[in-house]
Amino acid sequence: MALAGASGAALAVGTGQPNKALAGNVTFKNGGRDFSPITGKERQAIPTACWQCVTRDSMMGYVEDGRLVKLEGHPDSIRTLGKLCAKGQAGVNQVYFPDRILHPLKRVGKRGEHKWKRISWDEALDLIASKLKPLRDAGTPELFMYQYGRHKASQAATMYDFMAAYGTKTIGNHTSVCEAAKWVGQESLWGGMYDNWDYDKTDFVVNFGSNQFETHTNHIPTSQRLIRAMVDRGVPLYTFDVRLSNTAAKSTEWVPINPGHDGLVMLAMINVIMNEGLFRKDHFKFMRVTPDYHATTDQKIAAIKKEVAKFTPEFAEQRSGVPAAKIKEIARGFAKAKSACLVTYRGTVMHYHGADQERAAMLLAAITNNLDTPGGRVMGVGAGWKAPSTPAAKVHKGLHVKDGFPNEAAFPTHHVSHQVLPVIKDGHAGRPKVYWWSCYNPGYINGDNNEWQSILKDESIMPFLITSTITYDESSQFADLILPDVTYLERWDWEDMVSGNQIAEFYIRQPLVKPLGEARCQGDVWPELAKRIGFKLAWKDKKDFVRRSCEMTPGVKEAGGFDYMVKKGVWHDPNDKGNYGFYNKKVNVSGDGVILDKKTGVYWNWKKAGVANETAAQKAGYLGTKGAKKAYVAQNINGTPLSAYAPNTKFTKSGLLDFYSDNFKSKGLPAFPTYTPTPEHEAMAKDELIMTTYKVSVHSHSRTTHCKWLAEIKHDNPGWINAKTAAERGIKDGDSIKVSNKLGTITTTAYVTEGIVPGVIAISHHFGREHSGIYGSGKSNPFNGGASSDPDAKNMTWKKHGVHPNAIIPNSSDPISGTQRWMDTVVRVAKA
Amino acid sequence: MATPRNDMQNMAIARANVYGLLANIFREEPSKTLLTKLAGREFSNALNAHSLSLDDVFESTPCEQLAEDLALEYTRLFIGPGSHISPNESMHTEARFGEPNALWGHQTVAVAKFMAAAGLKIEESFSGMPDHLSAEFEFMQQLLLKEAEAWSDADQELASNILKIQNRFYQEHLSQWVSNFCDKVIEMTDHPFYRQFSKVTKDFVEFEQETLRELICEVEDADRLSA
Repeated sequence: MALAGASGAALAVGTGQPNKALAGNVTFKNGGRDFSPITGKERQAIPTACWQCVTRDSMMGYVEDGRLVKLEGHPDSIRTLGKLCAKGQAGVNQVYFPDRILHPLKRVGKRGEHKWKRISWDEALDLIASKLKPLRDAGTPELFMYQYGRHKASQAATMYDFMAAYGTKTIGNHTSVCEAAKWVGQESLWGGMYDNWDYDKTDFVVNFGSNQFETHTNHIPTSQRLIRAMVDRGVPLYTFDVRLSNTAAKSTEWVPINPGHDGLVMLAMINVIMNEGLFRKDHFKFMRVTPDYHATTDQKIAAIKKEVAKFTPEFAEQRSGVPAAKIKEIARGFAKAKSACLVTYRGTVMHYHGADQERAAMLLAAITNNLDTPGGRVMGVGAGWKAPSTPAAKVHKGLHVKDGFPNEAAFPTHHVSHQVLPVIKDGHAGRPKVYWWSCYNPGYINGDNNEWQSILKDESIMPFLITSTITYDESSQFADLILPDVTYLERWDWEDMVSGNQIAEFYIRQPLVKPLGEARCQGDVWPELAKRIGFKLAWKDKKDFVRRSCEMTPGVKEAGGFDYMVKKGVWHDPNDKGNYGFYNKKVNVSGDGVILDKKTGVYWNWKKAGVANETAAQKAGYLGTKGAKKAYVAQNINGTPLSAYAPNTKFTKSGLLDFYSDNFKSKGLPAFPTYTPTPEHEAMAKDELIMTTYKVSVHSHSRTTHCKWLAEIKHDNPGWINAKTAAERGIKDGDSIKVSNKLGTITTTAYVTEGIVPGVIAISHHFGREHSGIYGSGKSNPFNGGASSDPDAKNMTWKKHGVHPNAIIPNSSDPISGTQRWMDTVVRVAKA
Repeated sequence: MATPRNDMQNMAIARANVYGLLANIFREEPSKTLLTKLAGREFSNALNAHSLSLDDVFESTPCEQLAEDLALEYTRLFIGPGSHISPNESMHTEARFGEPNALWGHQTVAVAKFMAAAGLKIEESFSGMPDHLSAEFEFMQQLLLKEAEAWSDADQELASNILKIQNRFYQEHLSQWVSNFCDKVIEMTDHPFYRQFSKVTKDFVEFEQETLRELICEVEDADRLSA
């Protein structure tokens, strides 16, 4: 016990170690005679919300002894109807996985050298402030760039509030790798975006390229409703897909289709419907199909027939591989059904001219009167929260690095996120001095991801990199500062995702457990950081933001506000009958400054548009006045002013559905939906294949491979290849194969099947992780050797961790929307 | 001449001191103040008694540099990212009830409850979990100081009970993982500081097995005599 004396001496004068671990005084009841640490367990049920994917289901978390033990669906949710998918249930793994980042870390070696020092939050925030304050003080706040992967609802609102108060508009997202073409196609027509499908009332469903039963942007609310429609009411579901997904397998019929031809088949269906007189005229009054805003219905019918005349089912068969007879059969069924849903997703839009293919889908829905009508393709309805906000900084500007290279995309209304770093590297639009990314793994999820990593690694391009993350990954390895983010199960939020039944659901996320380690919610970081930089936000922390939002939001407030939401988790208006036909509302146009634009039939308010006088407004006209779309009031529909399809995005348009689009024409794009072959596919050599990607049911793109329950189910991604295509290359099922193009070669295993069309190889895009912990990558990042701290790792039954196809997928944009063309890559495949 | 009661009190204080020091060593990166204390002669002699020495380290590296080196090594060993050695019991003991090991596991809960039953909880400012090595050592330190107080107050029954509580905590927790944890650190560390202290820790924790057995025998004998 020589150590005891020395230890005592050291302790007596203090060790300089700042913290104690324990609080309180040792006390024992009854002198410690009946000491027992065993107490009855109490399981709490706490309503909260998921974040494993963008669906963000409301759910219940069960907490026992301060430990999250189970997640399941929220029984009172009208969106989820009490269901939660496998990803959602595995959220428990997010909190407790052993490779989680729990402390702020400062880089001490070279970027990518994996040398770190733990620092305190105070040091971290001071360091960030020392980089950001000078930029703001110098009037160059735009040199601070923030880019996010998953930010929604209050997580996004708090971030945007901070950024506006700071002064930067250099804020990047990830939407171009997700579905931007779909939104751009829709915005060009009905102004808004985000379609929903009214499965509860529909009679017929046609699905192009959406794997809705496995994984989808609104998976749980939609998939169960579609299944219910099929089982309870015998609703048929036809799925067009290059691959026999589980959705296709459970459909009434899988219709194999060549990649990039969904729009063509839709145009052929329109051809059938128009020529066989199966269309319905109800919606034609809202449609513009020629340059003339005032065309009669007969003129419109003639124009549509003329536009689609060349897209006969027989022509479509030649290019798409779908038999003409099948196109006719499904077109007739769709048109004759009392109501019908036309579904599209990534399989349709992540292609060359994907946005135009989405426009074809909207046209098909419109001519059959299935646009925003019960049982049809409807405008998504989400919760409209009110929230506190801070005034924007006087200097509030951004770098033009978000929309791709010059002329890369005509309408990048959701930006060109996959080109952000290449554009920054190019330098023509300037370079940020500080780049901060959050809930995002740019060096993994973008095309040509190795190039993204090389840009992050190069200190001469962006001098200071910050990331907020829960796991060490392909991108955070290059950061200068890693901030330990909380998981979604440890933070506050209000949520607003689209409902499945046209009734808005308001719901919140609340912490189930205290954040582990020093993990801190970004919504709590922003106010702290603002103070250090020298400004103040209008809210104290994330909880305060959520609390005040609950007290400000009509409906929620009257229901009991924050306390009600904490207790119940979800709220909807019991008197809401569902939102349909928003375009059909009569509008009072007698307001001061409201005039009718004769050319377009738009009622607009010239005063609100800031025009000097009415004469000038009449002369310039609605379309000739900059900013007039903000002054849109109504559309003259057969003499009645109706709300119609107001322009509420960057597209300047009338209140009509612009199937004939001046916007598109002005950019040299097809004014009317058409078929545009993919240039790379037209130039393919005979031995080349098209590579497509897809998602499996138990993983998100990059945020779940460290969840061991999910990794156990899916951890490898063989290449799906048709038996005929494989035989031509001497490939047998299970063979090792090389997939190559000019970007490089990846090696995987052949899955030879009839469940994919010939000429294609399909590889899912979740795996091949370099880093993400033992369960995702097979190594405890960043070094080999296994998760030495986790004995459960020895129970791993799998040795394969898949391959990442993004390494050979170039960042290549749809010239209309700027969407990343995941489905157009040309490759050669050979036995390894 | 010391009475047996004084012996027991002194023994408790001595053991508390060692637990207290080791709690400091593993709680976070060593401060310059701590390193200065450890560089002193008294501590050097104490380590020598265990056939260990950090004299070369202290002599060859300026204190400021040493603090920086150890901060990096602490991060690498116990924080990550990477194949670090979690300083939490729940990551080192075998899974129970079919549940896998994870942060905030069953053991974490058991330790938290144990501490709560003794009137203690984790400080808000402490970023670790209840089964962090530092917290477990500090818990033993607190029990021992209470035991010493009981001996000082001549409350033999309380002192005896606290010894049994220490033994229970030791058997249910410390003995289950600390020795193994130290072996991992000794194997992985690049720095003599953590190698030496892991050896000391391992020795001490193994020494505690016998110490607790003997002390409990003594108090039980005393209990029988007084009954």
